[in-house]
Order: sequence, then structure tokens, then C-alpha cells
Amino acid sequence: MKVAIVTGAAKPDSIGHEVARRLLKEGTQVVVADLYEEGFSALRECFCVRCDVSDPSSVQEMIEKAVKRFSRIDILVNCVGGSWGITRKDLAASPPLGFRGLTNCSLEDWRTIVAANLDSVFYCARAAAPHLKKQGGAIVNVASVAARKGIPPGSEGSSGPYAVAKAGVMGLTRQLALELGPFGVRVNCVAPGVIASGRLKKVLEITQQDHGPEGSLKTIPMGRVGTVDECAALIVALCTEDTSYMTGVTVDANGASYAA
Amino acid sequence: MPLEGLKGRKALVTGAASGIGAAIAARLRKEGVEVVSTDIHAAPGLRVADLTDADDVEKLSGSVGVPDFLVNVAGGPAAPTREHTLPPIPGAIALEDLNEKDWNGVIAANLTSAFLVCREFAPRMKARKFGRIVNFASIAARRGSDRVGVHYAAAKGGIIGLTKTLALELGPHGITVNAIAPGFIKTPRIEAAGWGDAGAAFIESLPLKRAGKPDDIAGVVAMLCSEAGGYVSGATIDVNGGWYFGP
Repeated sequence: MKVAIVTGAAKPDSIGHEVARRLLKEGTQVVVADLYEEGFSALRECFCVRCDVSDPSSVQEMIEKAVKRFSRIDILVNCVGGSWGITRKDLAASPPLGFRGLTNCSLEDWRTIVAANLDSVFYCARAAAPHLKKQGGAIVNVASVAARKGIPPGSEGSSGPYAVAKAGVMGLTRQLALELGPFGVRVNCVAPGVIASGRLKKVLEITQQDHGPEGSLKTIPMGRVGTVDECAALIVALCTEDTSYMTGVTVDANGASYAA
Repeated sequence: MPLEGLKGRKALVTGAASGIGAAIAARLRKEGVEVVSTDIHAAPGLRVADLTDADDVEKLSGSVGVPDFLVNVAGGPAAPTREHTLPPIPGAIALEDLNEKDWNGVIAANLTSAFLVCREFAPRMKARKFGRIVNFASIAARRGSDRVGVHYAAAKGGIIGLTKTLALELGPHGITVNAIAPGFIKTPRIEAAGWGDAGAAFIESLPLKRAGKPDDIAGVVAMLCSEAGGYVSGATIDVNGGWYFGP
């Protein structure tokens, strides 16, 4: 039986939550790595491990627990991310008010956001790699349309460091693809546009319903935001044989709002 | 793992006589999709049409109805004609050796055909507020190629522009438009052209250390037509074993 680790899967209405649910439904053993322990009770069929993915020793410990429990790792999905709600302190918080770019960014914000969105993927991939290499498998990272087009000044709910860190995730995806391809481990990335997650709901509460974290929702060519289901289905497809010849690739899922 | 949203849908797959197109038709049928196949080359179970001819496209559409999925595979580095439906795939062609007839033929077979087929079927998809269009680009358009002439690379580059623009135009009507850019895929025609072994050093240079198979492409088409592709539009998906990562 295949074993998957999904980070950032504990919050309900999140992409990671739906990825975990779908992998489970297909008979995969799922390890959920998250700080949001309050969400663990809704994921009883998963092996939930409290983990701060921005802390390398916490990640190492989580991987060791997973391997001790299931003896193998086939899939790693790195869903943890965001510009807020990413530390133990502010896990359940609402987004901070105001635009946070790079030029008005505190060093503390920069370090926190880059650690949660980019360092975390490095730590998880590095710790899982020896186990993935044993029999092959797949890594799927989650970037963002923000990495393609930046965060327009005036937007709320996202940040400049987030856009930069997510671009780093795309580069990390390519580097890992080169290093792990020879071992039958494919590494790909999904760059979602605006997705109707619980996180978006919180942003829309403060922006009067028509302004998402990456700008106006009215300019999306498909005329709608994406669903958590669509995004999770795409991530899961990148874990399967359907995408057996894809590696190092970022798949943009943004309703035609930015064609890379 | 099963893909949601395919069963009971209808697809038109062009260039389906062999290779990638045939694999896509087979895969979609396996998922419960009603598939209409077409090609300029006659083969059992498919409709013969020259898609560079607007009259032929119109005739084809009369018998197809409204597809949910439109998969434009027809094309290749050599242009077929009604008389020579399976021209051998040439080797590298230097710019100064490329004549206008071959230029025009390859542009028509790869780019004009996709334009005509989209123009014919997209309005019907619009009326139904649903559609998935998958076009075929190539690694030749993404990174360039020393195996095919500039006509093929230019035609496939045109497919990427057509795809992005149609994604904007058709997005408001519930239609996604994407392209797949395959790398080195071992099809019977590629093998016949003597590219089959491609050089061990080349294969070894690929992160996944193997040539692609038509089924590797069919899986990505199925993904784009399924729920997983619902919010993917305007994208060009590189499927090449890590040969080139895209822009």
C-alpha cells in the first residue's frame, strides 16, 4: 500500500485537506503533517503528526514517525503555505490589514513567510528523499500565481515575500526533478490562482467580496475562482501514472488569468 | 486513481490513426468517453477528413455534433496530403533548404488545422457553456529543436499563441483551452524515421532516463479533460521526462 505525506492538510476547507481525503479514498495511507492540531479529529483515518514544517528538526522527527509507522514513503505533497496563519501563534488568525509588499516588509515577516513557504519544502523534500528513492514516487509542491505575476500593491491577504518564496518553490521543483528523476521520483508543482478555500473566505471578509489576494476577481477570464476540488484533483493526478512522463513542471491552474 | 468528470462525455480526437492520437482515443474510451476519431489517413473506426480544408471540417462537424472535449493532435513535421497520407518524417532541414511548399504545408497541417477545427466546434461548446480543448504544441516550440525544421517549430509556437488567446476568449463561456508540448515520444512513425533509438547519450541525459510513450501523453489529456483540469486554462504543459522545464 502506498504512503503519502501531506503537509498543511489539517485545516478544513483547505487544498491540503481535500488532497488527503482523496488519497485516502484511493487506498493510500496518509500522514498529515500540520501545526493545526484542532483539525486532527476530522482526519481520524490519517496518521496525524504535529509538525512545524519551518523547523528542520520537527520535519525530521515527522518523517521518522511516518517511516516507523508505515515503513515507506511514496508521495510527498507540500501544501503548507500562506502569508498569515502559518505560525503556532497566529494559526487561526484573520489576515492582517493592509498591503504587505517587499519595500514595506519587516525582516521578521520576510523570514516567517519564506520559512513557511520555501524552507519548509526544502526540509520536507530533503528528509523524505532517501525513502522516496527506494522505490520511486512523486513529490508535488504548491506554488501560486503570485510567483508568476507578483502581488499588486493595494491587495490584502497576501504579501511580497509570499510571491518570492513561491517562485523559489518553482525553482526548487526543477532542481529536485534533476536530482530525483534517475531514482524514479517525479517532482512537479501546481501554481493555483484564486481558490475558494477557507483562507480566501477570510480575505474576502475584509476586502468587500470582489478583491482577492492577487487582485480583482472580476478580471479572471473564466469568470470564477477555482474550487478546492479542482485543485486537489490536479495535485492528486500529478501523483499518479497519468503524469508518468512529467517532471520539473509547474502546472498553472488560474482560470486563464496568467498564461506562463 | 480514477479521474472524475470523464464518463458519459463526448470527445473528438484528430490525428487519431496511430501513435499519440490513437493512444488518446483508446484512453478516453476506457474512461467511458464516447470518442469520435478522425485522420487524413484511413484506419478502421475513424472518419477521414483533411483538416486543412474548411469544407472537410464543416462536413466532419455535421456528423460529430457537439463534443465536450476537442483534442487537436493532427499534425507533424511532414505535411500529409490526400494522396500521401503518411509521409515519412524527415530529418533535420537547414533553413536554406526549406522551400515555401513545405513551409506552407507544415504550417497548414499543424496550425491552420487547429484553427479551423476550433472555429468549427467552439461556438457549439459556447452554446452549452462547457468545453475542454487540448491542442498539441511540441518541445520544438518550447526550447527549439535540431531535429525538425523551423516550419514545424514555428507552427507549434503558433499553437501556443492560439491556445493562450482562445483561453481568454472562451474562458467566459466555461471552456478551457490548453496545449501539451510533448518531448521525445516513441511512436511507430518516429521509429520508422530512424529516431527510435535517438542515441543512448540523449536518453541518458533525460532526468527520467527514458523515451516517452504515447500513453504518457494520453494520461495528461485525460487529466486536462477531467475535474483536475477544471481551472487550468491558457497553459502549455511540458511532458518530456525533464528534458525542458518550460518558461
